[in-house]
Amino acid sequence: MTEYIVRGIQAGSIYGLLALPMSLLFATAGTIDFAVGAYALLAAAVATIVAGPLGIAVAIVAAITAAAGMGVIFLVLTRIGTKDHIVFALASFGLAVAIASFILWQFGTQAFVRASFSQFWSLGGIRISPQGVINLGLGALVTLLLYLLLYWSDLGRMMRAAAANPSGAELAGIPVARIQFGTYLAGGLLGGLAGIMILYSAGLDFTASLSLTLGGFGAAIIFGITSPLRCLLGGIAMGVAEALAAGYTSGMVTAMVPFLFVLIVLSVSNLGGAMAGDRP
Amino acid sequence: MRGLMSRPNTMIMLGLAIASVALAARDPVWIDTWVIVGVYVLIALSTGISYGQAGILSMSQGAFAAIGGYAAAVSTLRFRLPPGIDLLIAAALPALLAYGLARLVTRLTPLATALATLALGSVIEIALRNMDNITGGYIGLAGIPGIGIIDTPLKYCVLVWALICLCVLMYENLVNSPFGRALNVIRHDRTRAQADGVNVPQLLSGAFAFSAAIAGSAGWLYAHYISYISPNSLDTHTSISALLMTVIGGSGIILGPLAGTVFLDVLVRHLPAQELQGMFYGGALILILILAPTGLLGLMPALLARLRVHRGPRGTIKAATAKPEATL
Amino acid sequence: MRRLFSLVLSAATAAVLSSGAALSADAVKIGVVLSLSGPAAVFGIPERDAIQVAMDKLKADGKLKRPIELVIYDDKTNPTEATRMVTQAINNDKVVTIIGPGTGGNILAAGPLALRMQVPLLGPAGTMAITDKKNEFYPWVFRVAPSDRVDVKVILEDMAKSKAKKIGVFFQEDAYGKTGVDFAKEIGPTLGMEVVEAVSAPYAATDLTAQATRLRNAGVEAVFLQVSISSLGASFVKAANQVGLTAPAYANAGLAQRSFAESVGSEVDGLRVLSIGNLPYDPSEGEAELAKLLKQAGKVPQGWGELVGTNGLMTVVAAVNAQGDKEITGVTMRDTIEGLCGYPAFARGKPCFSKDSHDGWAEDSLVITELRNKELRTRR
Repeated sequence: MTEYIVRGIQAGSIYGLLALPMSLLFATAGTIDFAVGAYALLAAAVATIVAGPLGIAVAIVAAITAAAGMGVIFLVLTRIGTKDHIVFALASFGLAVAIASFILWQFGTQAFVRASFSQFWSLGGIRISPQGVINLGLGALVTLLLYLLLYWSDLGRMMRAAAANPSGAELAGIPVARIQFGTYLAGGLLGGLAGIMILYSAGLDFTASLSLTLGGFGAAIIFGITSPLRCLLGGIAMGVAEALAAGYTSGMVTAMVPFLFVLIVLSVSNLGGAMAGDRP
Repeated sequence: MRGLMSRPNTMIMLGLAIASVALAARDPVWIDTWVIVGVYVLIALSTGISYGQAGILSMSQGAFAAIGGYAAAVSTLRFRLPPGIDLLIAAALPALLAYGLARLVTRLTPLATALATLALGSVIEIALRNMDNITGGYIGLAGIPGIGIIDTPLKYCVLVWALICLCVLMYENLVNSPFGRALNVIRHDRTRAQADGVNVPQLLSGAFAFSAAIAGSAGWLYAHYISYISPNSLDTHTSISALLMTVIGGSGIILGPLAGTVFLDVLVRHLPAQELQGMFYGGALILILILAPTGLLGLMPALLARLRVHRGPRGTIKAATAKPEATL
Repeated sequence: MRRLFSLVLSAATAAVLSSGAALSADAVKIGVVLSLSGPAAVFGIPERDAIQVAMDKLKADGKLKRPIELVIYDDKTNPTEATRMVTQAINNDKVVTIIGPGTGGNILAAGPLALRMQVPLLGPAGTMAITDKKNEFYPWVFRVAPSDRVDVKVILEDMAKSKAKKIGVFFQEDAYGKTGVDFAKEIGPTLGMEVVEAVSAPYAATDLTAQATRLRNAGVEAVFLQVSISSLGASFVKAANQVGLTAPAYANAGLAQRSFAESVGSEVDGLRVLSIGNLPYDPSEGEAELAKLLKQAGKVPQGWGELVGTNGLMTVVAAVNAQGDKEITGVTMRDTIEGLCGYPAFARGKPCFSKDSHDGWAEDSLVITELRNKELRTRR
């Protein structure tokens, strides 16, 4: 059983990385970016074509560029007066569908997977791949950096202000729209990173983008969508749940784990606090 | 007759349905296409009802349609029920499920509800394809019998478009009824609705269940027409397409989903490469959200108003840009 | 002068009339409905490519007694689309036979249409249900590839040679995967092997170490892979390597693809993969010819998709040639195909149909290959 948990922790760091942009964006703009999984997929696809460290760099840039596209769409929508958060989410959904289709068109149906390390370390009798450790380490590092950014830097303070009270923040001179744009870019960076990590672990193909997004969302909401540290824990929790399910139950239950997470947490929690439709 | 006159959408729908079926009847391929488009229109309409009325951005209509289809298949194949009866089951089963889920999530923000429906749709899909004994698992169920006297593609075409007209009639009635008006208030200000004494969760769940019933009947018709249903037939892709079609056509407008479905389905046939479909759908969605948030049909009042500007009586000065009228 | 003119005119008219009549009586239209997009495109595209290059070659060599015209459609790996395309092919293009659809589910969806319009379908799919005699449309569906049951039996027989008693199965969560594991559970005991553990994963699974661990903990002596998505197969062998699942692995034909061989490292050398022929790496004479045609057209052979696609084409050609100058309809094609036994094809094995058996290809078209250095080498 311990072995499943260890494996789950390793795998969960990827969900954590995907969950971070969800939580960031929700906090600063009150919406979610459906295209995070697509950024991951794009990064994985590009890194498959362009080998080595250069490939990774190009891949991350590609993911950020795609996210910048979403950011621009977001800015345009706010400029024309869109207030409904659903609209931003829908737009990101459209972008996600478009990116997945683009990848299918350009890269075909091939799998995106790369071999990483061939020797393994042993932790108390359990064989662990160095890649898994790297994933976990990266996840923890990014979470720490984000935490420092949000709570120890000026930018972070501005972001939290924009999240708590957008109009008040505007009046205080905080460039709310620019911060939100930046948050979208961060989503691209983190999503791209997650994509690279998956590329070197289990691999993925063109159908993966929506399930990755939903997995990230599930991980984000478990312990509360508003805190980055909790995102990493949420990701690990989901990874462990999936691993245990795969180890002890049937394929059907394992497949349902991310979705059941979302359903159960949404049913019992009070997401965002505000009731729908209330006047601000 | 007066009842019909006060329901312009239904009248327009009837006219369009009769004209299009008559036109399609001249060619077997057009009939076949028009039946399938009809099924998608029904599913898009159900999404429109859910989003436009209950404010629930539902990504599980495809799953509800699948439940309806499988219900039809199992009822007629295994239990040998007479063909019309299984329609009741096909509509009721998803409605019950939708009602139950809606009670859990209606107090959430629309965004969270949308994600809940996406998760629900996926869970349903996974469950359906693993219940081997009932649903035939991944292979699905083949050899589903027809619907009694409806035995040619043309009759199916007439049936599906008649169902669509019926659905539009019910939708229009809903909008004009006290329930519809209450739903309207809920969409704008939930607290106000509660203060008015409206049972918000019950009404929203009811609207969602109604939309699920429509999706279920679409699945029922699909299963009998193709005589085969599998996990791939009506799935998350169907839900996503229906959602895109609804928003692009105009989610707050009764005939919006119809416009969106016909527009997208027709255009997608002319794409140079099949892989580009997603880029086309996604791009169209983004454009619509930016340029015409009320959808394609939402552009019409603005266009009509512009026309009226030019046709104004001589000598008067009309406003340079007339305000777009409220949606239907 | 006038007589010369009218002579020339009548000669010209006669020539035009007769050639026109000859053309309309001769050209046979065949529909090709394959999965050119969607998950099954990885097989559908090679199938279509091979059919096209083979067709060109047959025309160039004059092997066709009558002109055959192909009309190609994409069923998008979707049963609804499959029925739409089949309807179009039959009604608009008036095809007399259809090569396709590409997947079992799509064939089941199109079966009733084939029955109603009386046009036979030649399906390059292994799904058992398509030639089930209980289907009302059974007379109209033919299988131009070995069936899933035959595939599983052959690979398990090879596995049995290693004296393994307890075996584990890893399968993908779809029709192909599920049928394979069910057959393994059924056929295994007849060969002295028992399936002690079966694990599965969906196409997009990102981490398969838990599944691999479960198989390892069950103490399996051999692992059977029923997977047709290369990335999933590659992820699993990586995971197996990582968790120390060292039992020898045997994969069904779904993984006999170039994209799988090239995406796994050398740690899985020795993995046995069943294949229909071995077009990309160790081709037979017929296969080598097809490989050459593909390379000339700039296509790289991927696996066995090309072979089963051309199986359908060669069946059509044999049937058309057998009917000489007679009028060809869907009914005559079906009757002729039921009488075909032993005709030229690029794949190995002797194809044979009959009224009782609509499964044309059997064990003699299969080979066991072994993964070495990113290539699948035939074992012998």
